[in-house]
Amino acid sequence: MSVTTHGAVAASVKRPRLSATAQHALFAYGLVVPTVLLLLGLIGYPFLYAIFISFTNRVVGNAGHFVGLANFRFLVNSPDFRASVWNTITIVVVSDAAKLAIGLSLALLVNQRLPGRGIFRSILMLPWAMPAFVVFLTWRVIYQPIGGGLNLILTGAGLYSGYIDWLGERATALPAVIVATVWRGFPFWFISILAALQTIPGEQYEAARVDGANAWQRFRAVTFPGIRQVVIITTLLSSIWTANSFENVWLLTQGGPSDSTMVFPVLAYFGMQTMQLGQAAAVSVTMLPVLAILVFAATAMAQRGAED
Amino acid sequence: MSRASSWTRRHILGASAGAAALAIGARHGALAAPAVQKGSTLTYWGGLIFSDQANKTLTDAINKWGADHGVRTEVVMINQNDTVQKVSAAIASGTMPDALDVGLDLLIVLARQGVFLPVDDTYNAIGKDHGGWLPPVDKASNLNGGRFGIPFGISGNMLLRRNDVLSKAGFPNAPTTWAELVTQSEKIVKPPFFPMGFCLGNAGDGNTQVNVLQSYGGRIADDSGKEAAIKSDATRAYLTWLKDAYDKKLFPPGVTAWDGAGDNNAYAAGTIAFAANTGSVGIAARKDDPDLYQGTLYSALPGGPKGVISPIGPQLRSIPKTSKNPDGAKALFEYLAQPGYTGAYYANAIYGPVLANEEQLSVFGGKDPILAGLLDLVKKGTAPGFPDVYNAAYADVMNSFLIPKMIQRVVVDHWDFDRAMDETQAQIQATYNKYT
Repeated sequence: MSVTTHGAVAASVKRPRLSATAQHALFAYGLVVPTVLLLLGLIGYPFLYAIFISFTNRVVGNAGHFVGLANFRFLVNSPDFRASVWNTITIVVVSDAAKLAIGLSLALLVNQRLPGRGIFRSILMLPWAMPAFVVFLTWRVIYQPIGGGLNLILTGAGLYSGYIDWLGERATALPAVIVATVWRGFPFWFISILAALQTIPGEQYEAARVDGANAWQRFRAVTFPGIRQVVIITTLLSSIWTANSFENVWLLTQGGPSDSTMVFPVLAYFGMQTMQLGQAAAVSVTMLPVLAILVFAATAMAQRGAED
Repeated sequence: MSRASSWTRRHILGASAGAAALAIGARHGALAAPAVQKGSTLTYWGGLIFSDQANKTLTDAINKWGADHGVRTEVVMINQNDTVQKVSAAIASGTMPDALDVGLDLLIVLARQGVFLPVDDTYNAIGKDHGGWLPPVDKASNLNGGRFGIPFGISGNMLLRRNDVLSKAGFPNAPTTWAELVTQSEKIVKPPFFPMGFCLGNAGDGNTQVNVLQSYGGRIADDSGKEAAIKSDATRAYLTWLKDAYDKKLFPPGVTAWDGAGDNNAYAAGTIAFAANTGSVGIAARKDDPDLYQGTLYSALPGGPKGVISPIGPQLRSIPKTSKNPDGAKALFEYLAQPGYTGAYYANAIYGPVLANEEQLSVFGGKDPILAGLLDLVKKGTAPGFPDVYNAAYADVMNSFLIPKMIQRVVVDHWDFDRAMDETQAQIQATYNKYT
């Protein structure tokens, strides 16, 4: 009897009990699990499935079978794919640089105490607020060689009397797409940088002035460090959006003329049009490494900014 | 007076009418129309077209059929540009409708995958009831001897021409060859009026150039439908014709980047004299610009040294294998082939007829030049893809716009013909290889 009692006591003593920390951790994991499952279902599964499809010859109506790298080989041998690599990089780099320049300039201007700056800020946001569809169709009309706004201005100003085929010539098509893309995208830069500017304490500028710093020195020593983090994150986000942007090219040129404005999203769309889902997925997958780097960089920057 | 002599004319006419009615009834009985299950449901994806009235006519007709037969109908009109994506998603998720409208491209691909039910019985029954299928329609909708879709309209390009301008310049008749079209264009070109409004961009209209190429003897692939055959003297002759016209600035600036609305916009703006169009621009002009409508005439596409290539594009109704109401769908298809419906539909949709009896519909009587042109197209048109083999690889080449891109290499990038043909030959072959 005493042995039994002793055994029961021993068992109760030896039973491993979770520490309070572990219990809290378990509880926390339990709370997070639904979110993780949701993310896996809504993001992880489609993401991995798209990668899987890119290695198959799946077409509409047929799951297809594993074809290894055949879709990627087909793409690499396609002139459109090679052009889309170069064009996508060009559009992202040039339009980001232009958006930075315009967004920063306007943010610095509007950050001053100017009369009617509230209205000015609202007007500057209009391109961002308008539906992309409307924006790019409007730009298409502006670029029309006959009766288009741009040629009418040039003709009216006596600068040129012919018909510049802005979207139909290799030399002008890509720049035309970039200009429209910049117009649509700069307000995001403007508002982000303006928000960052307004967090810089006025005392820092006062101190710099007292120290005899001129405007450029104040920008370099006070303004730029204050907005640097935002500029980096805006650059990364804008790069991702621009690289994935479809409407700008599709509504203006459909990737032409020739392959002068062909970009990844349009190429993927062509894959969908031809019902070659495996091939369309392969186009998207080839973009993945670059976009993944940008996404991870943006996330890391954002975290670092939050910690600072 | 004999008994027979007591039959008056009225008796004879009455007896004849009764016999005819009995005969019609017997024929319908012999065809054994599909049994419609009362209380069942039928979902239908209709192809949305630009005419709201035509879309409404279809929707109302389906709902009326459902109400008459005790079937719950659900009609969803799908933008035809989105059909591929929606059908693709529906197949993957097992949510295909009970019946749907499809174009020939999609029908070929999906029939190949075994997605659709064969509908030979319904096809034959409808043909028998309405004087038979028009021969080009019958040929175009035959997939390796089987029927997987019921044609309900034919689209295709006609040549629209500014008769008011051309007549004044001494050209009262439509050009019969592409070379003649250039000759006429040279006489009337006067910037900003550029006569040849043919899309050379990466859009469906750009593929009209494939028909011109084929009329010069050019081919996408060989007769087996497996080997690319674009590099040829015939293609070179076509490119010579094209570049000559382009260099003479007979094409409007911007054609190399036109989208599907490019020719419509230019024609409506009065800046071009010719367009290859389904007639939509004419219908729009009827309401918006009566002068333009009056000044426009419609004819078959011109020909090249190898004749006229003017393909017809059938629109079809099909039944997925997953349909829960295939008999209901077949009965609906038969109902939608009745002249009471088709007459109202054709009056608003820009489709040509598919059945022999439909030629007699008042809408095709010649009052409307667009519908008369469409009837002409159906009679004289060529099978899709002809003289090439219309298979999935051919459709892929069309949807990838490889021929417009070859043209752009020549007129935009200034490549020589051989270089442009070599690149296109390689791309077409790579495309065909995917299907072998």
